Amino acid sequence: MFDSSQEGLFAGIDKVALLLYVLLVAVGFVCITAASYDDTIESMFSSSHFYMKQLMWIGISWLAALVLLLIDEKYFHMWAYPLYLLGIASLVAVLLFGREVNGAKAWFEFGGVRIQPVEFVKIATSLTLARVMSAYSFSISRPSDVAKVAAVILLPLSIIILQNDTGSGVVLCSLLFVLYREGLSRALCMPIVLVVFLFIFSFILEPLPLFLILLAALTLYSAARSGAWAAHVRFLSFTLLVSLLLAVATPLSGYAALMIVCGVEAVALAAAAIQNKAYELLWLTVMFVGAMIFVPTTDYIFDHVLKPHQQDRVLSFVGMKSDPLGIDYNVNQSQIAIGSGGVAGKGFLQGTQIKYNFVPEKHTDFIFCTLGEEWGFVGTMAVLGLFIALIMRLMKMGERIKEPFGRIYCYCVASILLFHVLVNVGMTIGLMPVMGIPLPLMSYGGSSLVAFTILIIIAIRLDASTKHEGSML
Amino acid sequence: MRYGNESSMRYATLRWVVICVFALLAGRLCYIQLIDTRYKEMATSNIIRRVVQYPSRGEVLDRRGEYLVQSRECYDVMVVSKDIPREGFDTLRMASILEISPERLRSQLEKAARYPRAPFLVTNYVSQQAKLAFDECYFKGFYTVFRTARQYPRKIGGNLLGYVGEVSENDLKRWPYYSAGDYIGVGGVESAYEVELRGRKGVKVETTDTHGAIKGSYMDGAFDTLPVNGRRLVSTIDARLQAFAEELMVGKVGAVVAIEPSTGEILVMASSPTYDPDELVGRQRGNHYMALQENVQQPLFNRAVKAKYPPGSTFKLVQGLIGMQEGVLRPGDTHPCHEGFTVGNRKVKCHSHRSPVDLRDAVATSCNAYFCYVFRDIISNPKYGSVKRGLEVWHEYVESFGFGRTLDSDFIGEGQGNVPSTEDYDRMYNSRWNWGTPISLSIGQGEMGCTPLQMANLAAIVANRGYYYIPHIVKQIEGRDSIDARFYERQYTKVESRYFEPIVEGMWRGVNVWGTSRNAALPGLDVCGKTGTAQNPHGRDHSTFLSFAPKDNPRIAISVYVENGGFGATIALPIASLIEELYLTDTICRPEMVRYVKDHVVYYPYYDKLRAKKERK
Repeated sequence: MFDSSQEGLFAGIDKVALLLYVLLVAVGFVCITAASYDDTIESMFSSSHFYMKQLMWIGISWLAALVLLLIDEKYFHMWAYPLYLLGIASLVAVLLFGREVNGAKAWFEFGGVRIQPVEFVKIATSLTLARVMSAYSFSISRPSDVAKVAAVILLPLSIIILQNDTGSGVVLCSLLFVLYREGLSRALCMPIVLVVFLFIFSFILEPLPLFLILLAALTLYSAARSGAWAAHVRFLSFTLLVSLLLAVATPLSGYAALMIVCGVEAVALAAAAIQNKAYELLWLTVMFVGAMIFVPTTDYIFDHVLKPHQQDRVLSFVGMKSDPLGIDYNVNQSQIAIGSGGVAGKGFLQGTQIKYNFVPEKHTDFIFCTLGEEWGFVGTMAVLGLFIALIMRLMKMGERIKEPFGRIYCYCVASILLFHVLVNVGMTIGLMPVMGIPLPLMSYGGSSLVAFTILIIIAIRLDASTKHEGSML
Repeated sequence: MRYGNESSMRYATLRWVVICVFALLAGRLCYIQLIDTRYKEMATSNIIRRVVQYPSRGEVLDRRGEYLVQSRECYDVMVVSKDIPREGFDTLRMASILEISPERLRSQLEKAARYPRAPFLVTNYVSQQAKLAFDECYFKGFYTVFRTARQYPRKIGGNLLGYVGEVSENDLKRWPYYSAGDYIGVGGVESAYEVELRGRKGVKVETTDTHGAIKGSYMDGAFDTLPVNGRRLVSTIDARLQAFAEELMVGKVGAVVAIEPSTGEILVMASSPTYDPDELVGRQRGNHYMALQENVQQPLFNRAVKAKYPPGSTFKLVQGLIGMQEGVLRPGDTHPCHEGFTVGNRKVKCHSHRSPVDLRDAVATSCNAYFCYVFRDIISNPKYGSVKRGLEVWHEYVESFGFGRTLDSDFIGEGQGNVPSTEDYDRMYNSRWNWGTPISLSIGQGEMGCTPLQMANLAAIVANRGYYYIPHIVKQIEGRDSIDARFYERQYTKVESRYFEPIVEGMWRGVNVWGTSRNAALPGLDVCGKTGTAQNPHGRDHSTFLSFAPKDNPRIAISVYVENGGFGATIALPIASLIEELYLTDTICRPEMVRYVKDHVVYYPYYDKLRAKKERK
């Protein structure tokens, strides 16, 4: 279909994905301009504005994109391991010699320019994961191979967590998405998802709502797997009703009542499951009981065993930065900013919450606030639309690439993007804890922009070569 | 190969996961942006202002409960430039209320306009009355912040107490607690007990309307923190004694330190010349500070803990003690004195007194020659093989008395003094020296340097017969059961208690029988004392006196040092004696001695020369 000689550099590349990328960067630039515009600085084009610096980073990113499009795709496969080793080395180096910003020791500084190696490690880890999993002898059902995959992900993850940059570390957990696509057994996926879920939400939800969500999610999952919807709905309403009655009739709290009812049910379910050899149900029950024990235990330890300074340390460990006004302050202010945007927003440079510095990190991690306040619901939906389109497009590209290497890589990119968007946007609207990870392509910051550009352009490049070969046939 | 049914099913599942994630985000956005109007109200009507709540700084009392430092209410006036109404306001009226010149006010407002949204300090130290008048006028864009200023009811102890100044760039970098414009203690008690005195700042988050008028507290004060006031300190100082010491030292340069031997509590610490501590408070602080810094006699230099003075003859006490502990001296040993001691071509001179003398009389008459013999015997003790090793042993002893190192008191920047080591002599004499070289150390001259605090501590050691408590200036901190544990521990010297008796006896004789310290006698109080007359390159000899009383169960140990004051008995002795008298008897029965001290003029050609030099520049 495509004539390669006419298209030159852009031969076979997915123009939709590229357009989505460019649009997101452009919207990001507009928001950074609004967030950092300071009317006390005389010149609009003074290089002391963040948006002028961001313009420079956009230039550098696009230069990098051009170079990547020129490189033969086989090199990505070849360089995967060396890049991975380099990435690990730089993580260790930054841990030893790096600079501490906001409590995370995750930055190198060269003459005023800060570089965050974590951002680039995401690329290297994705390439390596793709190479490991695309090896001919690889099988996801073989335990030794699963261990290999786990090692590839957990090695950088643990170093990043040592840097006290937990948010960036947890990003790598999103690669589970890829493993699922490649056939990792559900029995392994579920508990990992559960652990990550509990880890994230135990910091923003009270135990009771957390349980209700968990109970509903697991029941729905079980219903979807078995198809017996009516039975599950009956089970769920029975549980809630009995708990409610128990809570009203006795001095027990709602939470305690629910725990007791669920506990009894769990024992019954487990017994029935063993009898009927329904191992999936058994597995779900075991996980639920595990969560039931896990949540109050950690809560108890946190509230009663840990001293206040240790609590602070745990909070800062999970990336909830210490703030003199308390953790809720940031989230509250950011929700006020977004919420006050209304349907159509206040207009470019008109956001009062942003301007008056109520929102912290308004040009980096909280850039979404600027969007929400100045462009309203229309703006936020448009950007979410761009992101979902880009993620879906990447998955589609992955599916159509013939070799597993390309497919796995595309999925890696999609999952990293998805996680970033979920956590970043989620924290600005109070759905997620403040984990301090940037909004891809939009947050101010050279490392993040360049790294996400490279991440996406490599996917586009891998996809282009497959199609290109396809058209030759 | 993996293109089976399973793969496409998983692909579909993942697409649903993505859709669910986005649906979740979109749903929440829909709620907060479209449905819940609360946020809109908050954003339009609530502009939040964080007002720092300053605690009141802890006050300092003397040991009898009298105020040394009080905190007085005063206010900072702040402005947020953009909130000033466009039509302006009555600047003349404001300037007169705030007691600043209209020009100053205008220049401050111009400066504030450079950062339109940041709170800017217009002026500080606004009195309570002025603040009330200011509040009545309701100037838009301006607000007042409660602070406290220091006030010194007795105007004593400038160097001892230190002062409160604005934090420096360095402090800001070192201590994240502070922000620009905060106050911090500088020097003396203020800086040593900064953390206790300052308390903790609080913050009040207020909501204001778009015109800057306060509407109330933000979220019912959920983010407010109350300031915690600073702790009150009880100092070990006796204000009456301190004031008396400062009065007696007027016109003299030097220091007085008195310690309670049984606790190490500092009763008096006067550094002279001193200054009125109230001068370093308020808007004129900068000017006064500059003037004090220009003064060649350095009133801001706390001589009591930082100066390095030769101890002179008072050091002979240490010499005798080491000699006895080392076994080279018995109290009955006599040495002849022919108005001096000759070694090589050097002669250490002595005044005329009867000869030969034993240890007690040598202390009483302050015989130089006697202690030259003692020192010679210590460092050339055959048991150590060499003079070098002998001097090292001597050095260890001297250090155990608190010389040549800091005492680890609660003063920040306490001086070490200087006790020369063998390395120092190797350097100075190219390793070619013998027992005669450091001979001037035997009478506390030469390279010896001590702080007045170290000398007073020596008096306390002798009073206690062999140990001391680390001297300290604060005895009680509000809300704490005790002060630092180190102040409760006995610090033993390397000389046993039994060797102190002959020395004490000598000091007692010098005052009460015959010797250099006769004028220090107080009937019935068994004063012990030792004069010192220290040669120095800056003019007349320094006058120093070291004393404690009573002889048994001593209650006060004191050291007085007057630069260029002449003989120890000339001026240091009467000052010390009067302070002892006031402390031990609560009265002064020798008004003629007070008059003598006050009328006694000490000349300072060295400082005069410095001043002349400075003026020429």
